Amino acid sequence: MDLPPAIQCEGITKRYPHFQLRNVDLSFEQGAVMGLVGPNGAGKSTILRMVMGLLGPDAGSVKVLGYSMPEEQIAAKRDIGFIAEDMRLYESETIAFHMDFIKSIFDTWDDGYADTLLRRFDLNKKQKVKGLSHGQRVKATLLLALARRPNLLVFDEPTTGLDPAVRREVLDEMMNALEDETRSILFSSHNTLDVEQISDYITFIYGGRVIESRNKEDFIDGWRRLRLTNMDEKPLPNLPNIKEVQRSGRLCTVTVNDYEESFPRLFPAAGLVVNAIEPLTLEEIFLVAVKSAKANASMELAQ
Amino acid sequence: MNPSIVPQLVRKDFRLMSRIIVAFSLVSLASIGIFILLHGRIPNSVLVNIAFVLLLGPAATCGIVLLMKTNVFEKEKSTQPFIMSLPVTVKEFTRAKLLVNLPVFTAFWLAVSGVAFYFAFGLGLFPPGAVPFMTMVFLGVFVAYTFILSTSLLFQSIAITVLSITISEMATSAYLWTIVFLEPIQSHVHGPDIVWNPTAIAIVAAQVLAAVSTILATLHIQNRKRDFI
Repeated sequence: MDLPPAIQCEGITKRYPHFQLRNVDLSFEQGAVMGLVGPNGAGKSTILRMVMGLLGPDAGSVKVLGYSMPEEQIAAKRDIGFIAEDMRLYESETIAFHMDFIKSIFDTWDDGYADTLLRRFDLNKKQKVKGLSHGQRVKATLLLALARRPNLLVFDEPTTGLDPAVRREVLDEMMNALEDETRSILFSSHNTLDVEQISDYITFIYGGRVIESRNKEDFIDGWRRLRLTNMDEKPLPNLPNIKEVQRSGRLCTVTVNDYEESFPRLFPAAGLVVNAIEPLTLEEIFLVAVKSAKANASMELAQ
Repeated sequence: MNPSIVPQLVRKDFRLMSRIIVAFSLVSLASIGIFILLHGRIPNSVLVNIAFVLLLGPAATCGIVLLMKTNVFEKEKSTQPFIMSLPVTVKEFTRAKLLVNLPVFTAFWLAVSGVAFYFAFGLGLFPPGAVPFMTMVFLGVFVAYTFILSTSLLFQSIAITVLSITISEMATSAYLWTIVFLEPIQSHVHGPDIVWNPTAIAIVAAQVLAAVSTILATLHIQNRKRDFI
């Protein structure tokens, strides 16, 4: 039987007085991980809140595990575990209180897995939330989301503010959660390293728009940095996929998207020497993509 | 099949608020005790004023503290995203909050009203003619509470809820001063008989209608909300 996509957003738009999410399309199959990357205020949290049915789109449609959101949010949320950076537990209560509360709601709650996570995260369930560090709070929230065994995990900036050791623990547990082949994760992060490590699909968001969304391999393979020597200061070939050019004397660095094997041959033809072709890290790609999107947005504004 | 989680949400809030409810219950009992001790030892005119503070104070404060903690602080302290990540809609969330706040306040309100009526009329502090007016006074308090409760749910804002408390206090006082000077009410307040004339009945009916429609309107507005975080 064909499973419906984990997430299927089509043309979603949301208008606020100072921000607009514009015509966002997102889709990935069950069993995959999609990482949303974008600067602060790009629209990541707005998208995730729409996925959870907490915000209704002004236009477009959101389907999660085949359920229309927000209309079918009750059924959908039985299968979703959600963590947001700004989500807090009840400070005056213990972790055990929260575990009992979640257990009373979800038949799928797994006591054994919850105990395993308590040990793995080094949490004491009798401890009150107000006595927990930020890292422990995130781990407690993760425990509550995972031990109910949802099919989809939606995490909004799960690793923000965590020290490297706790960040590693959280990421490892997210990876462990994927042992079930149909379990999917949609998460947002500023940290491109996290996204690069665990995502199958990567989506860049800037200014309320998706500026790029592809599977990770295509994403990384699609971007290259070419180091060129431009002896006679000749003009570069006029190509739309050149996203950034940096010049230093006769040396020139060109960053391109949608890279093809034939691409380096275009430069010698224009009188330039290609010295090196280098792959980019996701962080470098992100920075170039955002810079390019900013430039495009400024041009649109000027027009 | 997606069973509603409203019962679990209600149980959760009762557990979170249990200490507050117990504390205010004890304060209310102590207030009643003090009132009983004072009865007969100080003039009735003074006792009535003290009674109003002693009896209504803990009930009203408990109602306000409860709605602040369960409705307003849910948003202010960011526990709302945790709750809304569960299989619940805004309407169900609102229903759960009403099912926690309304019964607790109603219980306090009924107890206080019962004690007040017993002392006022059972022990002869007030003449029987004041029964309709006294009913309007206590119903006025209930209507004011539903307005504050509704505001706390709709806006989940400390500032707006405090403003609604101020408005409710002023409006309730103004309203009571208005009706006590209405001729069909005033003419029987000091009388020996309980007179439920059409004016008195209409006022009480309007109060009940106001309380019920405030609650229903809250549910309706919450149900139409598309953005809740």
